[in-house]
Amino acid sequence: MKKRLGDYLLAILIILALNFFLPRLMPGDPLTAIYGDALVEMSPELEAHLLERYGLDRSLPEQFFLYLVNFLRGDLGYSFYFQAPVSQVLMEALPWTLLLAGTALVAAALAGVVWGAEAGSRRGGKFDRFSLSLLVFLNGIPGFLLGILLLLFLGYYAGWFPLSGGESAHLDYDGWRRGVDVLRHLFLPALTLTLAQLPRNFLLMRSALLGIMGRPYVTTARSKGLRERLVRYRHALRGALPPVITRLGMSVGLLFTGVLFVEVVFAYPGMGHLFYLALQNHDYPTVHGCLLVITFCVLCFNLMADLLSIKLDPRLKEDARQLLG
Amino acid sequence: MHVNYWDEIKKDRLGKLGVILVTLLVTIALGAPLLAPYDPWAYVAPSLSPPCWSHPLGTNEVGQDILSELIYGTRTTLLVSVSAAIFSTTVSLVVGIMAGIFRGTLERIILRLIDVMLVIPVFLVALLVAAYFQPGMVTLIVLFSLLLWPPGTRIIWNRVLSLKNQGHFTAARQFGAGTAYLLWRHLVPELYPLLAVNFIQVVRRAVFMEAGLAFLGIFDPGAKSWGLMLHYAREFVFTGSWTWWLLPPGLAVSLTIIAFALLGYSLESALDPRMRRQTYAEN
Repeated sequence: MKKRLGDYLLAILIILALNFFLPRLMPGDPLTAIYGDALVEMSPELEAHLLERYGLDRSLPEQFFLYLVNFLRGDLGYSFYFQAPVSQVLMEALPWTLLLAGTALVAAALAGVVWGAEAGSRRGGKFDRFSLSLLVFLNGIPGFLLGILLLLFLGYYAGWFPLSGGESAHLDYDGWRRGVDVLRHLFLPALTLTLAQLPRNFLLMRSALLGIMGRPYVTTARSKGLRERLVRYRHALRGALPPVITRLGMSVGLLFTGVLFVEVVFAYPGMGHLFYLALQNHDYPTVHGCLLVITFCVLCFNLMADLLSIKLDPRLKEDARQLLG
Repeated sequence: MHVNYWDEIKKDRLGKLGVILVTLLVTIALGAPLLAPYDPWAYVAPSLSPPCWSHPLGTNEVGQDILSELIYGTRTTLLVSVSAAIFSTTVSLVVGIMAGIFRGTLERIILRLIDVMLVIPVFLVALLVAAYFQPGMVTLIVLFSLLLWPPGTRIIWNRVLSLKNQGHFTAARQFGAGTAYLLWRHLVPELYPLLAVNFIQVVRRAVFMEAGLAFLGIFDPGAKSWGLMLHYAREFVFTGSWTWWLLPPGLAVSLTIIAFALLGYSLESALDPRMRRQTYAEN
């Protein structure tokens, strides 16, 4: 387990190092690389202040140390586009992203588990083959394309859902009216993301169930005369679920990648949209702040999934020990 | 494993579809200059014209022929993804064999590196790096190769470990075969099927990553790429132009990913019906 934690720490360090060294390896002075076009609008005093604050006139190792300290203190720099500290801008966007990602994670997990279990327990049947090919094709469609099409048909042509944003601007809704408004804005992005995640979950669940259906204890349950539904959900599913849960946890990297695109398509006010805005306006501190925070979230989720998997399946601990030698 | 993989794939209906689609894509990419009605970089008509006889898919916002862009986009997609797959599979092969043959410290370092890299969300790191460069094709190929080698390496390392203790290796060694000979004549050929599967996986992921980066506008703006077409077409999506401007490159990306996915699945199940279970779930 210590080794696993070490992996995560190293991963974070690598990402921070990339983030730190890339702009400094670029030709020109680092202030230009970090702040880009915004530098033109800066006053000499501000420039001096930034040089001082981020120690850009010192040696690289010293700078890196300062960078790490600043990162740990939550100081990610200053955004000239938003005229605010990057961390503050990010904190406004983060809840939206978590709401969207969380909704899609739960919806896609439930749908994937049920659908996968239904298909897997009728292996080779019509329903199974149909689901399998349908979802393999769905899996090939990039999330952003799916999002644009849903936006066009359900939002623009049908007019059932708002076209962008996280809630209606300029309308001071309160209480449940605001809740409904937020949900209406959430629906299409969450649907897109759920559809994008669904094939993977389905395939995971289906194959996990296939591996379990032939086990003796399932046969025992069936020969006791239990109804097929009970066998499927009480017995087989329970045995198949732990690896699926861990794999779901490990797949949040893909989920957050998906969130990024979906937010761009729907102009949903989370981190992905913020990233895109910042990118288009050459606001590099915000661009990298966004990616850092998203990556950080992903790593946290993965770590939790890793820990959970050992809790759920003690056999893995043995495996880990053997791998360590 | 004496299986005729080609026959296995041909027997599988979806696998056959995959082969046909990939062949089609490669043909379009190779024959792009002959197939495209116009130079995709030339300003040939008023901008934003709807489809007509001379421009079946209309023109884009600067008056370039969209059909020609689409055809040339095939080249970019395949060039980037196939090159990335060639390089990263080569790295997987070399590093995987090194870790499997010379065990000890080197093996531990390599495995640790793989573990760490598998934790990192690949696409986000690609974005992080690419956001600095406004990358062209070469930068993307290098970047994807550097990011996509770890999963394959681990699989190959595993296979090498189980292969090298098999009887025919011991036999060959006792007949006096040198290390290089053993590697080339006995070990590597046994890895071909795994390499093929890995190659296809990397192609698929690279197609998606290239399209995704370009869709966000992170790609040399002068290049012809499906992702970039989507990027520009999105701004005009509510004008009704999406049927001829946005949908074709979108379908092209999807079809390419699906084609390689189908090819991969049927190859995997030809290799080992049980392997299908695990690899289906890989992203």
